[in-house]
Amino acid sequence: MVSLMETRSAKELSEIPVDPSAVRRPARATMSPGQLAGRFWRARWFVVLRAFAVFIALWWGVSAWVSSPIQMPTPAKVFDAFLGLASSGELFQHIWISTQRLLVALVVATTIAVPLGFFMALNREANAFIDPLVELLRPISGIAWIPLGLFIFGVGGTLPVFIMAYVAFFPLLLNTVDGVKGIDRKLLAAAETMGVSRRARLTHIAVPAALPSVMVGFRIAFASAWAAIIAAELIGSPSGLGFAIEWYRQLLMSPKVFAFIMTIGAVGYLCDLGLRALQRKLTPWAEGTGIGQ
Amino acid sequence: MTTATHRFSITSLPPAVKAVTLPILLILAWQAWTLTLPENSPAPAPAKVVASFLALTASGDLIWSTLQSLGRVIAGFAIAMVCGISLGVLMGSSKAVRENLDPIVESFRPIAPMAILPIAILWFGTGTPAALTIVAYAAFFPLLVNTVYGVSRVDRQLVRAAQTMGIGRLRTVLAVIVPAAVPSVLLGSRLAMGVAWTAIIAAELAVGAKSGSGGSGGIGNMMFIFYAYSVDLNGIVVCMIVVGVIALLIDRLFRAAETRLLPWRT
Amino acid sequence: MTVATMPTSQKPKLRLQNVTKEFVAKRTGQKTLAVSDFSLDVRPGEFLCVVGPSGCGKSTVLNMIAGLDQPTEGSIVMDGQLVTRPGAERGVMFQDYALFPWKSVRDNVGFGLKHGTPGNGLSPVERRERVDHFVKMVGLEAAATKYPHQLSGGMRQRVALARLLANGPEVLLMDEPLGALDAQTRMVLQVELLRIWGEAADHGERKTVVFITHGIDEAVFLADRVVVMSSHPGRVSAVIDIDIPRPRTEHIRSEPRFGQLTDEIWSLIRDEAYQAIA
Repeated sequence: MVSLMETRSAKELSEIPVDPSAVRRPARATMSPGQLAGRFWRARWFVVLRAFAVFIALWWGVSAWVSSPIQMPTPAKVFDAFLGLASSGELFQHIWISTQRLLVALVVATTIAVPLGFFMALNREANAFIDPLVELLRPISGIAWIPLGLFIFGVGGTLPVFIMAYVAFFPLLLNTVDGVKGIDRKLLAAAETMGVSRRARLTHIAVPAALPSVMVGFRIAFASAWAAIIAAELIGSPSGLGFAIEWYRQLLMSPKVFAFIMTIGAVGYLCDLGLRALQRKLTPWAEGTGIGQ
Repeated sequence: MTTATHRFSITSLPPAVKAVTLPILLILAWQAWTLTLPENSPAPAPAKVVASFLALTASGDLIWSTLQSLGRVIAGFAIAMVCGISLGVLMGSSKAVRENLDPIVESFRPIAPMAILPIAILWFGTGTPAALTIVAYAAFFPLLVNTVYGVSRVDRQLVRAAQTMGIGRLRTVLAVIVPAAVPSVLLGSRLAMGVAWTAIIAAELAVGAKSGSGGSGGIGNMMFIFYAYSVDLNGIVVCMIVVGVIALLIDRLFRAAETRLLPWRT
Repeated sequence: MTVATMPTSQKPKLRLQNVTKEFVAKRTGQKTLAVSDFSLDVRPGEFLCVVGPSGCGKSTVLNMIAGLDQPTEGSIVMDGQLVTRPGAERGVMFQDYALFPWKSVRDNVGFGLKHGTPGNGLSPVERRERVDHFVKMVGLEAAATKYPHQLSGGMRQRVALARLLANGPEVLLMDEPLGALDAQTRMVLQVELLRIWGEAADHGERKTVVFITHGIDEAVFLADRVVVMSSHPGRVSAVIDIDIPRPRTEHIRSEPRFGQLTDEIWSLIRDEAYQAIA
């Protein structure tokens, strides 16, 4: 969902600034029933629950109105299909395959992009040579590599990994370069006046200073890769979540298609949640951990 | 080692030369590698790619396909713009609407545009409407999210300042909130156009892959035909380059529009 | 409760009576008393400064006079009319100036004339003349087509002042308008502010000013009277008459009376200021 064109600056990325109603203060003991009901009505979990209830009711209404189980299965049918897929283990099998590929691709992209990013940011000459090549390749979306990739790797598991690693590479690289270049020069100068060695300056100043930006890059890389894997698996792989939705579409088993689509969303959401937690854990000092801030 | 001034030094090269060095070296290496392959190898070679580009341009196929894809992107983008911006203004200006719709929007956001494709095919078949659905879906979220952000983040002090000048409610929306939200909306449009272009390639590629040669055209479909039927890898590379160039042009166009329309920004 | 009584027979321009403001946090229902039982008369044409430790509710009082916030209890009356909402007769200069970033200097100054009630009954030519007049008054003719981000802090402050005056308010409400500036610029602009306010003119032609500041010497330099507030909750702790004759020039800062008044005010808020840091 994140465009490749936008990896340059994390600031420009779109994300609703989530307000997890940050501070929780103890409620006052004295509350009228009306106030209590009001609080309940406004409580975050209740709002979410209510929104989903309305959404499912609408869905039900539409499916009843359309009355074509292939085009618009009812929520109950989809839930049934979901349970069936879960109990047979098929669901987890595809999730496992896709996330495994995702993980491999992210590891590959990170091991290449982050060191290269440090190298490019710290070495102006290298940057002058490499950056133009990066800018030349960056506009070519990962999707456009699929036909050529199919030729090189054939239908299978390598193609999705290649596409995802390619897609994840650019945001990681550019955010690493930005992060390292954005290091406060005064911090390095301060360390020098304290007689800190060059090596220690790299590990104790440059790396932590660049980490918030790298983490943002990693989240963008994940989001781009997760969007790309569906396309790659749908076209050029005999397994994985992207394959599954298209497979069941061809069999006209719509409830299963819907169940898998919802799974794609849920897995993507949970992974991002995990990455946010990781971000907070690794870079608790960073202001505005959101991609959009 | 006495006179360093006469020694050749890489660092003294002009920036433009530095910029083209690696790409040219890579292309030369690629060309050299293909020369070692047997004559009938399908592997793409730079010289053949250029020839293929010229042939495809001369026949008009490339231009027609590109225009077809662009037309779909613009149509899908327009749909997304109408839906995304209007809903965004609504969500941005009313906290109640925002809180109630946010869970739904956030649940759909991690669903990749391509995941919608099977549903789009179920609903509309493998023609243009399915591709439009994917494009509109892809472009919708950046537009929505940035509009919401822009509208809800309008400096409250500016609204209050307008109130103290005896400016009415409607006028405040028009003269304060709308201009304040424009930068975000433009940014959202640029992002949306970028993902829309990627999405149309994916959609055309996949629709081609799933419907055989009777696909609905466009540059993505062209790539698929080169892959699956004519086995023309040079043609595929030509298409990839065109995809990249268009993406770059779209990005530049929108950035130029931003600087042009927002001279008051730093 | 100290109530500033009227020494003369003239009617107050503004009358704040037992004004109390309580904020209620929406989700938790927790209440905070920001201002308590605040009573004050502001005379027509006077320059009134409000000082107090940070967080004492100065800005809240100003916002209530502006009509941007409503008091929980008590009333604010201007010329016999209850204040219930914002209006152009009470112009506000905000702490961070609240300039419209997408408008040039000229268009910022003319914003109220173009979109709001101050422009009613004015022809386009008259509006343009009025904008020109105030842009010139603050000395920004050369920068008239620039955008706020191209201006220095002092220039932005002038734009805000010109915009405030262009709307022709009867009462000027200023929320630490010089707070964000460096010390030298501030001193220069203090003198200029008095000039523009009409210090040299007849008393009857001066606008009524309520000026919030945390600078005690600034308050003494500018004001006819200084209201000293104490915090938690915000209330009036003293009202001090500044008996330094006008027009005031730079050199009054070194006069003994200036030092006496500054010390007197400082002694009133010193304890709270120390508490706030500790």
